[in-house]
Amino acid sequence: MDSLTPTQRDRGLQRLRRLTFGATAGGLIAVVGVGYAAAASYAGKSSSTATAQSTTTTTTTDTTTSSSSSSSTTSSSGLQSAPQAPTTGSSGSGTVTTGGS
Amino acid sequence: MALALKSWKALGTSVLVLTTHDDRLEPATTAVRQILEDVDAAYSRFREDSELTHLNASPGRAIHVSSLLATAIDAALRAARITDGAVDPTIGHAIRVAGYDDDFSRIAAGGPHPALPRERGREIDSGERGRQMKLRAWHVPGWQAIRLDRGSRTVWLPPGVELDLGSTGKALAADLAATAAMAAAGKGGVLVSLGGDIGTAGESPSGGWRILVAEDSRVKPSGDGDVICVPAGGVATSSTTVRRWSRGGVILHHIIDPQTSLPTSGPFRTVTVVAGTCLDANVASTAAIVRGEAAIDWLTGCRLPARLVENDGTIHYIGPWPDPTSVAA
Repeated sequence: MDSLTPTQRDRGLQRLRRLTFGATAGGLIAVVGVGYAAAASYAGKSSSTATAQSTTTTTTTDTTTSSSSSSSTTSSSGLQSAPQAPTTGSSGSGTVTTGGS
Repeated sequence: MALALKSWKALGTSVLVLTTHDDRLEPATTAVRQILEDVDAAYSRFREDSELTHLNASPGRAIHVSSLLATAIDAALRAARITDGAVDPTIGHAIRVAGYDDDFSRIAAGGPHPALPRERGREIDSGERGRQMKLRAWHVPGWQAIRLDRGSRTVWLPPGVELDLGSTGKALAADLAATAAMAAAGKGGVLVSLGGDIGTAGESPSGGWRILVAEDSRVKPSGDGDVICVPAGGVATSSTTVRRWSRGGVILHHIIDPQTSLPTSGPFRTVTVVAGTCLDANVASTAAIVRGEAAIDWLTGCRLPARLVENDGTIHYIGPWPDPTSVAA
């Protein structure tokens, strides 16, 4: 096998660098592209997060209804807390049962 | 102004609508009936003509679904993501094979082991009744197997995956029904209870909605137990003490642990949670039952008021749950 001249060796190295850069850039583009596609619709994930967002509940005052103006908050768990904590009550008109069903 | 109430049966459970204005009960009730009809048609597991039945029978294909079914699946996937898979909609086949394969009022109280193809089922020892018994269970494929494109409302299920939206679906229906009922009522406030899963909208009665916390939603509101007042948001209770049946001599219930594909066997039999929505309350209460001993730390981190009942009856209160010994409102 004949040995390469310095010029031929430099050209070969330059060609190799171009190929390496092209392959790296191509791979990066492919990863980003696949990432976007996956973010748009990948297994078990939807594109909507509306139900996880905080909402505001406002109530008004009259003589028979409770008065409050407060916001629900979403904890780090992603679950939304009630705008006000429950209080102790007693059974009476309009009591509803919560339980397993 | 008096509270007005109407109740009936739908979706295999009890429905209760409460309005703060008695003249608003009729439009609120009509709105709730319409929502429940839509829910039944969209994601009943027991109707042959429901969208969900069609979807479950169409694995490996992208299926266009209604906005309601897409919303319900979206909610179920969010629940699975938030709970690290403790609440998983892909338990459909597992719960059906375990014996819950029809409206609960029609399933047999007892029966033999379900027969499964060997390559799909798993045999797991169950220590029920103090002795080792073999119970065949169906492997839960996991919620990550589902693909939902919210924009185009298309859903893709791989072969072998069967969705069950029963847990989150009922709670979502309570929220949707309360919102629709409030819009129809036009004033005051509305509470909707679907088998003890409670959603509210609008103004609450003075002091808040009165909720008796029980293990079974069929307990009369005048019955014994803690009563709490909830100004807004939702309340849900998950319990292993109801919807029970037996197969192969093993007592089973409807809360499936996706890790084992079997009904849960943790330390808590009933969990009640108050949250911003009925859906989130249900997600937390169901996940707590599935998580077992880890539930207390998890619920504490969630900062949601919760009441947990151990299998021996010991009660734990988490977060800002009201002191049951304080003077009642």
